[in-house]
Amino acid sequence: MKAARFVAQALLYVPLMVILGYFSTQPRFTDIAHGQALVRLSFSHAGARKVECRQRTPEELAKLPPNMRAAMDCPRERSPVKVEIEMDGRVIFAADVPPAGFTKDGASTIYRRLPVAAGKHRFVARLRDRPEGEFNYVHEESLDLAPGRAVVIDFNAAQGGFLFKG
Amino acid sequence: MLTLIHRSGRWLFHRAEGVFNFAFGDRLNPLYYLGPISYFLFWIVVASGLYLYVFFSTGVNQAYDSVEYLTVQQWYLGGVMRSLHRYASDGMVFFMLLHLGRHFFFDQYRSFRWFSWITGIVLLWLVYAAGINGYMLPWDRLAQFVVVATAEWFDWLPIFNGTLIRNFIFQESVNDRLFSLLSFIHIGIPLGTLFLLWVHTQRVPQARTNPPWPIAVTLLAALVVLSLVKPAVSLERADLSAAVTTIPFDWFYLTVYPLIYEWSPGAVWALTGGLTALLVLLPWLPPKRRLGPQEGFHIMVHPDNRIIPVREGESVLDAALKEGIPMPFECRNGGCGVCKGTVLSGRVDPGLYQSNVLTEEERQAGKALFCVCTPLSDIEIEYEPKEAPGGIPVKTYTARVERMRKLSPDVMQVFLKPGGGEKIRFYPGQYINIILPDGEKRAFSFATAPHLADLIELHVRLIPGGRFTTHVFNEMKEGDPVRFEGPLGAFFLREDSRKPIIFVAGATGFAPVKAMVEHAFHTGLKRQMLLYWGVRSLKDLYLADLPHQWEREHANFKFVPVLSEARPEDHWQGRTGLVHEAIIEDFPDLAEHQIYACGSVAMVEAAHPAFVSHGLSADDCFSDAFKLAPQIQARATEMVKLGGRL
Ligand code: FES
Repeated sequence: MKAARFVAQALLYVPLMVILGYFSTQPRFTDIAHGQALVRLSFSHAGARKVECRQRTPEELAKLPPNMRAAMDCPRERSPVKVEIEMDGRVIFAADVPPAGFTKDGASTIYRRLPVAAGKHRFVARLRDRPEGEFNYVHEESLDLAPGRAVVIDFNAAQGGFLFKG
Repeated sequence: MLTLIHRSGRWLFHRAEGVFNFAFGDRLNPLYYLGPISYFLFWIVVASGLYLYVFFSTGVNQAYDSVEYLTVQQWYLGGVMRSLHRYASDGMVFFMLLHLGRHFFFDQYRSFRWFSWITGIVLLWLVYAAGINGYMLPWDRLAQFVVVATAEWFDWLPIFNGTLIRNFIFQESVNDRLFSLLSFIHIGIPLGTLFLLWVHTQRVPQARTNPPWPIAVTLLAALVVLSLVKPAVSLERADLSAAVTTIPFDWFYLTVYPLIYEWSPGAVWALTGGLTALLVLLPWLPPKRRLGPQEGFHIMVHPDNRIIPVREGESVLDAALKEGIPMPFECRNGGCGVCKGTVLSGRVDPGLYQSNVLTEEERQAGKALFCVCTPLSDIEIEYEPKEAPGGIPVKTYTARVERMRKLSPDVMQVFLKPGGGEKIRFYPGQYINIILPDGEKRAFSFATAPHLADLIELHVRLIPGGRFTTHVFNEMKEGDPVRFEGPLGAFFLREDSRKPIIFVAGATGFAPVKAMVEHAFHTGLKRQMLLYWGVRSLKDLYLADLPHQWEREHANFKFVPVLSEARPEDHWQGRTGLVHEAIIEDFPDLAEHQIYACGSVAMVEAAHPAFVSHGLSADDCFSDAFKLAPQIQARATEMVKLGGRL
């Protein structure tokens, strides 16, 4: 009886340990599938003001309390940032990224994962940070992406616009 | 629907418990200790974690290297510790979920249990957070995945809105500070967990926080074996310029992470948030089980002769332990039979138990397992005390009658001398059971404080027609042998309050009060003490000189005798009427007093509601329960006690 119990105990501990041992690593998880690479678009950029600053007329200034008589009238709201990523002639991502903040005066921030097939690709990134008109930043780049590679498309106006890194 | 889920889950657990009982025996069945096992695993995680922390370096490059050093060079200790750290935390999630499941299926999460239920859910969250955070530390590919996925998941929230991930975009964005922060969190969350664990178990009377040692030892040994057979190892070093492809995955902690990509971060928030909300609300969702009155029922507990409240759905055992009644127990899950006792009257739900520990015949005979049995009406029960509080064992003694003295026409003072000159340890307020030749028992309180008790003093009141008491008055003589068991009961003087104490004694209820007062003087208790002793007429006020003498000798003691049927020849000048009326007259507001009452059922029954309506808090009367008195059936109940819980 005692031996039977002992065996039974072992038989119950073994599955517990198997469960712990197995599910702590298995089944494996695939994030980026074999033969794919990852393009990540991420930037934080403040668009231009939605309405241009404007000189106040003397009459307008006179109407304001003395401590608020600023010569320029600058509404704070910024324009959304329009962005487009094209790969091999096909737009794979496009968005109007709204500015942050209650008064919409913050930077527009975006992050996107774009898994793509590995191999040679031609990318065109376009961005417009003004209320209207054409894309004012365009960058073209050809990349040979090995499987499992990750590339970041960043944007920094001070450094001239789009940056492909990775 | 929910009932159906409950029922099938219960059936499953019950079957599994049966199998485990065969293997482990009913006292060491791990399924009865799911909570304590989780607790124990937590300690393994903490201990192994501390060891790892000694060697862990918080730097972008050093983090990986230091963990590799532990795993590879120091595999025999550091590696084992790392594996233990991982497997014990995985086990913790596993056992916590089982623990939660068991309470869910057994419908033990409603009414007063909501508190433990909700703290349990928060605990689960904390453990998940700590575990996921832990996976970030070795800074390998899995760490990279977890960090990035967590950032992406949180970035969905409007407050972050895509900014968080900017910290993990490039290899250069990750710096040493991140690792200091991560390890700081990895210590902070477990500390919070520990505190909450303590809170979580606070409300359960005598909650077990450790599994029995054979379980602990085997479990630890099994985990060590697992650690040696399949050590936890790191993947390649993290590299943010490369994507994470296919990796080994911890499904205990990272269960929902694949869904961040399979669905979307928002959907995962909806899932986890919704699930949490559902769990949190569960105790208040239908179907409601309201069986009895809002305030629950009451239990008359023999042999203590105490009446205690029990909440709806609460087991008899829990209610008793809460009141300090030393009811024996072991598994608390209907598997061992240690808590078996008798239901003398009233209706109970016998609960779910293994049928080999309580047979059908026993059931028919009124036996029940108090750990799973819940009252469906006011009930009266009897259990077999195994041990008095404070670890004093209950034993059977044979003593001789040393001396007898008639204190009044119907009260006999009896002194017993235990055989072999043994001195019995007990607490003032406890009692013994005299065992009659046919095995019947009669309870009498120790009437002397322990430090004075070379002999056992009892006050025996003559009950007309009473078998034992008439024997005492008519036949018993010095030298007669008497068998008794004791000490029993948990009616003590509580020393955790400063409020003045009012002792209420009815007739021979004076005996335990005498023991308590003597003890209080002996220990130098400075609290104000008042003794109201209610009897019929002057002749019943046996030993009245004694409290008068106490009054003279101790400034903090006052004695008020009250006669209810004073006779003309008594020439009584003192208080008259019922004893509780006298108290209420003197103290219209009882909120600032503690009451210990000891007397006949009728006395306590009349006194209790009156006290409560005059502001006595339930806690200070040690009993909010006297509605039961008229239903008490056991014949040996001459005396009831209120108060004195541990
Ligand atoms: S304590 Fe084990 S059956 Fe009740």
